[in-house]
Amino acid sequence: MGNQPQKTYWRSLNELAQNEEYKKFAEREFPEQATELTDGVSRRNFLQIMGASVALAGLTSCRKPVQKILPYTRQPEHLVPGIPQYYASSIPFRGNLAGVVIQTHEGRPTKIEGNELHPESKGRTNSQQQASILELYDQDRSRNVRNNGSDNSWDNFVAFCNDHFSDTDRTVAFLSEANSSPTLARLRNDALERFPNARWVTFEPFNNESVYSGIESVFGRRLRPLYHFDHTRITLSLDDDFMQESDNNVSYIGDFAESRKMLSPDDEPSRLYVAESNYSLTGSNADHRLRIKSSEIPPFAFALASELSRKINGLDAYSGYTNAFNDHSWIRVLAEELVAHQGNSIVTAGAEHDASVHATVAAINLALGNAGETVEYLEVPHLDATDQNEAFHTLVTDMNAGTIDTIVMIGTNPIFTAPADLNFGEALKNVGTQLHLSHYFDETSKVSTWHVNRAQFLETWGDGYSWSGVRSVIQPVIQPLFGGKNEIEFLNAVIHGTDESAYALVRETWRNVFPDDFESHWNRVLHDGLQTDSRFDVADVYMVDGSAEIITTYLNESTAAFSDGIELVLKPDPKLHDGRFANNGWLQELPDPMSKITWDNVALISPNTAEQIGVPPARKFGETRQQVIRIQTNSGRQTEIAAWVLPGHADRSITLYTGYGRQQVGRVADQTGVNTFPLRTSSNRLVQQNIEVSLAGRTYEIACTQDHHSLEDRPIIREADLQQYRDHPTFAQDEVYIPGTHGGEREHPLSLFSDKELPAHEPQWGMTIDLNSCVGCGVCTIACQAENNIPVIGKREVRRGREMHWIRTDRYFSGNERENPKVMHQPVPCMHCDNAPCEQVCPVAATTQSDDGLNQMAYNRCIGTRYCSNNCPYKVRRFNFFNYSKEYLTSGDDPEIIQMAMNPDVTIRFRGVMEKCTYCVQRISRAKIETKKDTGDSIKPKDGTVKTACQQACPANAIQFGDISDRDSRVSLEKSKDRNYMMLEELNVRPRTSYLAKIRNPNLDI
Amino acid sequence: MSQNIPMVPDNQLVKGNHDFASLTKLISEIPQERTPLWWYIAFGISNLVLAIMLAMIAWLFWNGIGVWGLQQPVGWGWDITNFVWWVGIGHAGTLISAILFLFRQGWRTAINRFAEAMTVFAVMCAGIFPAIHVGRIWTIYWIFPLPNSMQLWPNFNSPLLWDVFAVFTYLTVSALFWYMGLVPDLATMRDRVKGRVSKMIYGTFAMGWTGSNRNWQHYEKAYMILAGLATPLVLSVHSIVSFDFAVSMIPGWHTTIFPPYFVAGAIFSGFAMVLSLMIISRKLYKLEDIMTLDHIEKMNTIILVTGNMVGFAYAMEFFIAWYSGVEYEKFVFINRAFGPYSWAYWIMITCNVVSPQFFWIKKFRRNIALTFILSIVINIGMWFERFVITVTSLAQDYLPSSWGYFSPTYVDVLTYVGTFGLFFTCFLLFLRFLPMVAISEIKGVLPQADPAYYRAQNGNTKSNK
Amino acid sequence: MSSKDHPYGILAEFDNPADLMDAALSVNKAGYKHFDTYSPFPIHGMDDAMGMKPSGLGWIVLVHGIIGLLGGIALQVWSMDIAYPVHISGKPYLNFPAFVPVAFAIVILLSSFGAFFGMFFLNKLPRLYNPLFNSSRIAKATDDGFFICIEATDPLFTVNKTTDFLREIGATHTETIPN
Repeated sequence: MGNQPQKTYWRSLNELAQNEEYKKFAEREFPEQATELTDGVSRRNFLQIMGASVALAGLTSCRKPVQKILPYTRQPEHLVPGIPQYYASSIPFRGNLAGVVIQTHEGRPTKIEGNELHPESKGRTNSQQQASILELYDQDRSRNVRNNGSDNSWDNFVAFCNDHFSDTDRTVAFLSEANSSPTLARLRNDALERFPNARWVTFEPFNNESVYSGIESVFGRRLRPLYHFDHTRITLSLDDDFMQESDNNVSYIGDFAESRKMLSPDDEPSRLYVAESNYSLTGSNADHRLRIKSSEIPPFAFALASELSRKINGLDAYSGYTNAFNDHSWIRVLAEELVAHQGNSIVTAGAEHDASVHATVAAINLALGNAGETVEYLEVPHLDATDQNEAFHTLVTDMNAGTIDTIVMIGTNPIFTAPADLNFGEALKNVGTQLHLSHYFDETSKVSTWHVNRAQFLETWGDGYSWSGVRSVIQPVIQPLFGGKNEIEFLNAVIHGTDESAYALVRETWRNVFPDDFESHWNRVLHDGLQTDSRFDVADVYMVDGSAEIITTYLNESTAAFSDGIELVLKPDPKLHDGRFANNGWLQELPDPMSKITWDNVALISPNTAEQIGVPPARKFGETRQQVIRIQTNSGRQTEIAAWVLPGHADRSITLYTGYGRQQVGRVADQTGVNTFPLRTSSNRLVQQNIEVSLAGRTYEIACTQDHHSLEDRPIIREADLQQYRDHPTFAQDEVYIPGTHGGEREHPLSLFSDKELPAHEPQWGMTIDLNSCVGCGVCTIACQAENNIPVIGKREVRRGREMHWIRTDRYFSGNERENPKVMHQPVPCMHCDNAPCEQVCPVAATTQSDDGLNQMAYNRCIGTRYCSNNCPYKVRRFNFFNYSKEYLTSGDDPEIIQMAMNPDVTIRFRGVMEKCTYCVQRISRAKIETKKDTGDSIKPKDGTVKTACQQACPANAIQFGDISDRDSRVSLEKSKDRNYMMLEELNVRPRTSYLAKIRNPNLDI
Repeated sequence: MSQNIPMVPDNQLVKGNHDFASLTKLISEIPQERTPLWWYIAFGISNLVLAIMLAMIAWLFWNGIGVWGLQQPVGWGWDITNFVWWVGIGHAGTLISAILFLFRQGWRTAINRFAEAMTVFAVMCAGIFPAIHVGRIWTIYWIFPLPNSMQLWPNFNSPLLWDVFAVFTYLTVSALFWYMGLVPDLATMRDRVKGRVSKMIYGTFAMGWTGSNRNWQHYEKAYMILAGLATPLVLSVHSIVSFDFAVSMIPGWHTTIFPPYFVAGAIFSGFAMVLSLMIISRKLYKLEDIMTLDHIEKMNTIILVTGNMVGFAYAMEFFIAWYSGVEYEKFVFINRAFGPYSWAYWIMITCNVVSPQFFWIKKFRRNIALTFILSIVINIGMWFERFVITVTSLAQDYLPSSWGYFSPTYVDVLTYVGTFGLFFTCFLLFLRFLPMVAISEIKGVLPQADPAYYRAQNGNTKSNK
Repeated sequence: MSSKDHPYGILAEFDNPADLMDAALSVNKAGYKHFDTYSPFPIHGMDDAMGMKPSGLGWIVLVHGIIGLLGGIALQVWSMDIAYPVHISGKPYLNFPAFVPVAFAIVILLSSFGAFFGMFFLNKLPRLYNPLFNSSRIAKATDDGFFICIEATDPLFTVNKTTDFLREIGATHTETIPN
């Protein structure tokens, strides 16, 4: 392989579509539930909703399923039917707002994009944000206020609160999910004032509490670290999957990609070291990765600190400390690297690790002079004063003691997510009254006195801060589909017993922000989606007195010796997080970035550990059935889950994801995967040592979208080390000899036919994907699914290898599977070949090339021979083996709701036709029409005006799209780079989509 | 004409001392005698199996292609495998009637009628699959160049479209050829049968044939021309079928050796199928005198030849894959032999390359039991050949990320089994109601048919009284 | 009886192909034109014996073949280049190599129709009524009988003379076929 050092490739193995009797998709995936409902969303209802969302005013929506088509009674302002409208808003997640822009068609929100004005989003999004549009249209969301399980009304609830909370001496406990809303904070203060015996506890199953505590122990204050990966030269991540699990992952991925941009061989990419147990997304992008057990992270951090203490000041507390890692080769190298890059390096650690680790990390960053440079410590006003994990612990103790009279649970689902040892369920029984606000009638709602159905962020008003403190308003774009209330309205009702609209409450809060000329400021914020220049203050940090003592205690507590036992690591699922997204079909069907598994969670283990347990270390080709293992913690809790061999995982370590195995929550969430929360205890939130693992003696079917994980030595993904690239800048293009393309200006391979002349007045579309930027997060897949009405087909169909995603992310391992294989990610959409092999074989000319170079599918002409798919070397075509869209859009009790999510600009594909990536032709056409309207003759949109869904969502800006006939367009510039190459160019199919080779930046000392 | 042409004693094509009358009796009485019990049983079973096929196809139409095991990347599985297999079988008939006719192979007359019938029915079975394998059966007519409101036309670049024309032409020409050969014998039947109705029916289809020499002249001309046309056709049809694969760009499909290789394979399997059927029916209908051991031996020789041609093609594929230096090609062929589908590959090799080698030995060529077994084994092998080509190439092509393993569903299996129902239903009807041997042609190859025969034995006795 | 007055012709039976051929030769020599021989299979050399012209079927087939070729090419050129041209795999609209298989198939198809229907056309088949079938023996013509029939339309034909002539040249049996 050209200048590549010879790699040893291996295969890990695959999936066999089992030969089973076919059952109807709907029955299989969506068991009909006897949810009787009287309300639906009628068209007339739409018009009101739309009027409302345009007039930005509250209206109560009609609740009868009227089936009439009515014209606009009042033409909403600015609204042209068929032309989408865009509103700036924000998505709350774990107490942080992400700035987004929401596309609505005639009042239906259909797509979520990042807000370009927002300093964190910069127009980019992540998978959950993209998928939250589907959450809005989830039929299974709770539709009623319920009292002891039976339907009731909001008014009765308000009346109840009025009466119940008239006694202000009640010991009320407010248990809220993390929330940064100033309005909520205001109400919170009211609450604590009004009820002297009240307490407020913030509960997030996965949170940053130990980060804050660790920082507090050395800097004296609970501060929030903000990393600037774009300024770093050296990054060390200690089991911190900041590309996936961080609250700020969108801008972190972007910054990281920025720091590794290669415009020319002279650029200096940053270098990433990762030490972790699980093979995380971040780890897959590391230049050097160390497989160690999560339980070994603290000693590793201490050893590093003590090594550094010999070289730089400020870490005296660690000097002299020794453990097994002191003479580890990495410690020496890392110390040198970090010392060499003082002020422009970053050390991070996984949020769930102990405070001791974060204290050490903070101390190191300070000592290296990174604080204030690459790491900023922010003062977050709404942050709780104390460690909320402990606060929750005490709360539960008090609940058990029966001293809590009423508990008000806002958004959280502790019955499902609380540490198992606390046995929250039992504790809750000892509470007189339980009020619960949630999207679903979930595990907690079922045991609560009152359940209030929650309105989604697209439905009601709210506000809050982003991770870095950008203050935004959550602007609704549709009336609550199921008449829900959000946390503000809910809490207001509880405290004041009044039915105040969130709109009024939020405006009231913001009046204090803009004392004068409120309306214009307010409208500005609504328009921009954020308050300009708002940001948390950066704290000036220093080691406070007594920090040394604390560190010493940390060091003394830490175990210097390592156990040989198997450890269990619990992490939030990359897609479902703690299970709050479990009923989201898009996320369920999105392949896990590393294992490519859909619809399930598994026990991730290394090949060596697999052998140790008795699981085959390499899967047989086409085998979908996986060995199930029984995991028992030393506290006696146990579960059974399918084992999955993930090369590169640390030995003697098992990683489990949470969020699966929910019951009676929704037709999507139910019966998918295994609930792993029962293994999680308050003392061992992340790691549990010395667990017992045995074979359960049965197998379980896993739907994995990628059978084969080795490149087979094929030049499909081309990568080089920085030095190799500098020695041979065109390595990617020279890797394969292609007749006709050699000497001077590269032409196309030799061809029998003279090149086809496409009309000059048309733009010629093309795309580049920079593999050096792409981190493999998979948001492109979800964005595409949302934009192009791609159906969810369910586990069995995916298992049979019939996934419908138009853009997939291929993931390959290379290197020694037993040791530490490298990983390469490669997004693959349709290549839109000029000599498309699919076109010539279609007997009815259903797929042809357009004048602007798109390889287009005429769904109405397709008769479904599948010949085109067979003849596609990239296998990007997708066939409707069944009437997927119909099942997807007409199943359930009121399909009208999911139908609202569809993009009206994109055809719904029916059974028996082929489909594939269109380069978002609907966006192209819209842009061409606009251009024609503006210029009068030209149909060549300005560069950058057409963005494909995948390109727009990509946090790493890895995808460029535009007119390749325009030499100055961004895509042309990308294509002119020396790293640019075409996959399988030797076939002379002339793909319009090309790739930019990946450059690794290894430390040659390792 | 010269009065004393020495009579050339050629080896007896028809055993036993048959004269014209006895041959007529022997063959034309089969449809007249009362239907034997075994026929009813066989016909009943065939109908049942046919019903299963119809049910499976109905199920397919109702639910969609998903009821088959197909997936990404394997878009073609049993459907196209079965298609190619049946078309291949359908080659023996026309080959025997056309090519052997042009080569003046007298022995063909014993089996050509039979083989032509088999051809027509096999091609019918084959034709089913390309039709039902499309995702939207209700738009299937779009593959024909019919004027339509959409002003759209088929894509004549597509090998699949070439297929449509080739197979359709082949079916039509085979049927015409077969029917034309039947006309004189239908006349014979017309003149033999007792019942009024059957006389009417045979008479109608005999088209008033009298055996007049002025008719024989045009008839023979037409027969010759059709044979001349069918010969390139029979060679082209399977070549075009092979283009479905050869014209694509999938490693393992994109191979120039395919046309000759496919044609050889087709003849191979076709002859095997003729043998299987012939060996049964010659027993059942006591036609050993007509379908003699010599015939079986001759056909086994052809099987040996074509079998080795196929084996050579297998070897050549490997050589070219290696010689080309294309890594994808190399991988595909190594993968065929040692990859996940190696079981299919080795079944294919055993059945198609190893088993025919028995026929080097005359004793085996003339051994009916062995021939029968091998004829079946060979057709199994040929099915696997098509499976290996179609599926293994697709399952693992260019991008390892998209590799997948195909396995059929019960619908795949039963649909295939069902086609045998169709085939045997038709074939049994043929055996029952039509002369299964070309009476006029077989008479034509008797020594008595040659005027020289009488003069040689100084005949001409009755010319003057 | 009209049949006696206006017979269709005289049917004479012979023993074997050789006799039939000699007889045909003699009938031909004797100057009869409207006669035909009937046999269960074509007898080689009979055409010369009867002095027949070679069959013209070949020309019919040729014409059909040419129509097929032109039609096949025209269809493809028109639909791919004129009626609805589209970009397909970067190939030219007129991609002649790809047009060969279909054109070939159509040539074969039409030629075969020519041969098949042409044969029946030249033989004037099917015909609804043929007086020959009034004969009781003609059925043997499709089994092992060899016949000559001299038709009444022949100028030299008279019932008695012709009958005698046929007996002379070795007919084992003669009969007058009523019309």
